[in-house]
Amino acid sequence: MTKARSILGKIAFVIFVVVFVGIIVLPFFWQFMTSVKPLSEISAIPAKWIPSSVHGDFYVNVFTKHPFGRYLLNSFIVALTTTVLSILIGASAAYALARLRFKGKKFMLMAILSISMFPTIATLSPIYLLLKNLRLLNTYAGLILPYITFALPLAIWLLTNFFAQLPKGFEEAAAIDGCSRGKIFFTIMLPLIKPAIFSVALIVFINAWNEYLYALTFMTNDNMRTVPVGIALFPSNYELPWGDMAAATVVVTVPLIILVLIFQKKIIAGLTTGGVKE
Amino acid sequence: MATKHWKQAASLLSAGAMAASLFAVPLTVKADDAVTISFSFDQGVGEATQQMVDAYNESQDKVRVETVILPQDANTVHDDFVNKLASGDTSVDVMGLDVTYISEFGSAGWLADLTDLVDPSLTEGMLTGPVEGATIDGKLVAMPWFTNSSVLFYRSDVLEELGAEVPTTWEGWMELADKAVGVNGVEYGADFQAAQSEALVCNWVEHVWSNGGDILDADGNPVVNSENNIEATELMKKLVDEYAPEGVTTYTETESEQVFKEGKCLFIRDWSGFWSSGQDEGSKVTGKIAATKLPVGPSGTESHTCLGGLDLVINNNIDDEHKAAAADFISYMASPETQKEMTLISSQPPVVESVYTDPEILEAIPFYEEFVDIIATGKSRPLSPQYAKLSDAIQRNIHQALTGEAEVAAAIETLQGELEELNK
Amino acid sequence: MSKRKKARGSLEKTETRDAWIMMTPALICLGVVAVYPILRTFWLSLHEMVLTDPLSGYPFIGLSNYAKIFQDSRALDAILFTLKFTVVTVFFELLLGFASALVMNQGFRAKGLVRAAILIPWAIPTSVSAMMWKFIYNDQYGLFNDVLYRLGVIDSYKAWLSTADGSFMALVITDVWKTAPYMALLILAGLQMVPDEMYEAAKIDGANVFQRFRYVTLPTVKTTVLVALLFRTLDAFRVFDLISVMTGGANGTESISVYAYNNLMKFLDFGYGSSLAVLIFAVVFVISLIYMKLMGNRLTEI
Repeated sequence: MTKARSILGKIAFVIFVVVFVGIIVLPFFWQFMTSVKPLSEISAIPAKWIPSSVHGDFYVNVFTKHPFGRYLLNSFIVALTTTVLSILIGASAAYALARLRFKGKKFMLMAILSISMFPTIATLSPIYLLLKNLRLLNTYAGLILPYITFALPLAIWLLTNFFAQLPKGFEEAAAIDGCSRGKIFFTIMLPLIKPAIFSVALIVFINAWNEYLYALTFMTNDNMRTVPVGIALFPSNYELPWGDMAAATVVVTVPLIILVLIFQKKIIAGLTTGGVKE
Repeated sequence: MATKHWKQAASLLSAGAMAASLFAVPLTVKADDAVTISFSFDQGVGEATQQMVDAYNESQDKVRVETVILPQDANTVHDDFVNKLASGDTSVDVMGLDVTYISEFGSAGWLADLTDLVDPSLTEGMLTGPVEGATIDGKLVAMPWFTNSSVLFYRSDVLEELGAEVPTTWEGWMELADKAVGVNGVEYGADFQAAQSEALVCNWVEHVWSNGGDILDADGNPVVNSENNIEATELMKKLVDEYAPEGVTTYTETESEQVFKEGKCLFIRDWSGFWSSGQDEGSKVTGKIAATKLPVGPSGTESHTCLGGLDLVINNNIDDEHKAAAADFISYMASPETQKEMTLISSQPPVVESVYTDPEILEAIPFYEEFVDIIATGKSRPLSPQYAKLSDAIQRNIHQALTGEAEVAAAIETLQGELEELNK
Repeated sequence: MSKRKKARGSLEKTETRDAWIMMTPALICLGVVAVYPILRTFWLSLHEMVLTDPLSGYPFIGLSNYAKIFQDSRALDAILFTLKFTVVTVFFELLLGFASALVMNQGFRAKGLVRAAILIPWAIPTSVSAMMWKFIYNDQYGLFNDVLYRLGVIDSYKAWLSTADGSFMALVITDVWKTAPYMALLILAGLQMVPDEMYEAAKIDGANVFQRFRYVTLPTVKTTVLVALLFRTLDAFRVFDLISVMTGGANGTESISVYAYNNLMKFLDFGYGSSLAVLIFAVVFVISLIYMKLMGNRLTEI
């Protein structure tokens, strides 16, 4: 009886997962199909699900008509540096906020949060001026610096939350063993919130990877352009190369999927240390 | 253990810092004693423009032009320029600017006065419309570069099948559309752009002008609330409700062209450049398209296309040396020779009148022979520093009228009120 | 014993100092990049500053721009629309995000692929996905029509983006599709912080699935969910790209960010546009305070 129920439950679970994932992936699947369709079938009416023939011309276009390899490299450098630095800076501040005693914590959290409260467009022109004065336009640093800044509120809030969930008295025990604050932070506390760190890192990375407005405004040299701006440069008057754009979307999304596949074990690694919680 | 982790952190940090510092020096290329200027324009005619720039760079060694290409999106380009110019930036010297923004940028003081910088004979051979649009208070603040105007593309195969003459009025086209549905795959009589966007403004003012109406009078006072305009808008609504695809009020150029290229529409109102792109590889109507003048409204006598196009402007913040270099460059771009060259590779309608009658051009683009008349009778959207607000008011109110959210007469009345408010 | 006291003392002594040292890099970043734009926006909002009218001299006008907002029905409509959009999207994102996080947290075959697949929508560049969805809703060749038609839900293709209800629904679906994975990822991280032993213990005590969810899962992830909700709310309230690409603000879908953008960048009215930006800031600030209240001292107490 219970066995039959659990099997039914499993089937229901599988059906749910398949339908759910199907709906989520459908638009991307469509985009992928578009990227391998013959040109004449892209906007066929009614929509054509399975292309009559498969070809890779659009992928060739992406890399031959545009310096797309360069765009990918730029995006990668910017997103990776942003992620690493945001996590280090954010985790360090989060640790202080969650686990050290000092006055004005709530004020601090609100102040940090408040920079995510303005519409992006209102920040664009002043930051442009600032970067210009710092001579950072058309440099990686000029994009990484604002990216880190706008990634910090989320990183700090979330990591603060996770640090706060760790049981009390940890530092004390460690201090007995003669650990310094730095050692406690790096060797004990950071590893404990690994799942959270990977989640935050993934979000920060994708945000930086996909950002458009700053990248467009601060990087005017074609050699310094990032992927989203690169794709936006595809259409010209009277031509919307939807096939090329679909192929480009696949090209930029697949590395992220691979990244998730590699890191998902880490995200899901969980608390192998065990016994952390009472 | 502890040192190991600090080391890890330190190496990560220094790697980041290195990555950052490596690229902290702006990448600028300097030619020996040439003045380097930067020219920013959009991808719309990117390739053709780049070729002209390369030719200019090769033709002389005093000025070197570097290009900054922006995405082909009017808003993106506008905002990028505004950001730079409003902050007194000098990183861009010459810009390709949509004609509707000339007045706005000019009154903000961002455009250099070209009157004494360029040879006056340059503009003498140009079409009058674009030159007027580039002049504020008698000063030339922009150099017309190319123009743009719309025509009615129709399915010549369908007209042939029906043995019909080409109508010249909207009523004529509607009558024909009633018969055309079902012929050679045609499902919709009409196709145009009615999404809440600048494209809608162009479509609407054409209906208004072609029905004897106008937006502003000679003194700049709004005259929107008129019988002619209401009639023109009612007619447009009828096209939306009875003739166009269901989604026409969400269409800008791309979407409308797609349906036409699938062979589903009798005609499409579009910019002249659709002539070639409408018959490209993916199109199902290649060889079945002809173009004619926009139709006349019930109370109108003549149709008028809405003129678009790009001007070349010089950043007013840059020093005199760069201004002179920039002036030399834009004079090159506006010269009859370059205009002819540019027209041949881009099919963008030039501003130099003689190009339209050039035998070589007529051989390449035969319909320019009639086209020059269409452009000559074309009108510019109101030249006003407040154009953005005016356009926004038209877009909202007319879109509401077309979707049925508001009655046509009521929408027109609201629009009149909003435009009067602007004039205060 | 004495060793323990000493060690504890040595860490405590430097606690405040260490805290500030550890926060310094973050504060420098925020100070350099964020403070100036924010102060400048406040400052501009107190001026009459229309860039096309430099002759006005951009005078200081106090709070007049703010007074203007309350007589501007367009601004008020935009705020109402934005609130509606925020509540509806965040609600569905929470629901779907939580559900997918629970799924991702299960051990089953092909879980890696499912986890990666769920994150795809979040990974596609916004500029592309908004355009992609506009195609999907197209009245002639859109996927949405095709699917619904094949399923028999509709009997003819519809122009979804041409009506107020259709546009709202389309925007909500797109936003939920795009950002539910974000929610899922954050909640998943929270779920991962719940040690398996706690579930085991609850199982032994005879708790069923729902009880385990109610008494084990929920309390542990509560703060994480609140933080995730807070950030989604901030983003949803500032929605811009999606709307500007898909409807351009037509059919009553003008969000307050779109309206602020129109004033700033289209009308070049930096004074009024900035005051709208500050208004967005103020509304979002109040929302944040509410969340802060809900979280209590969980984030900061030691």
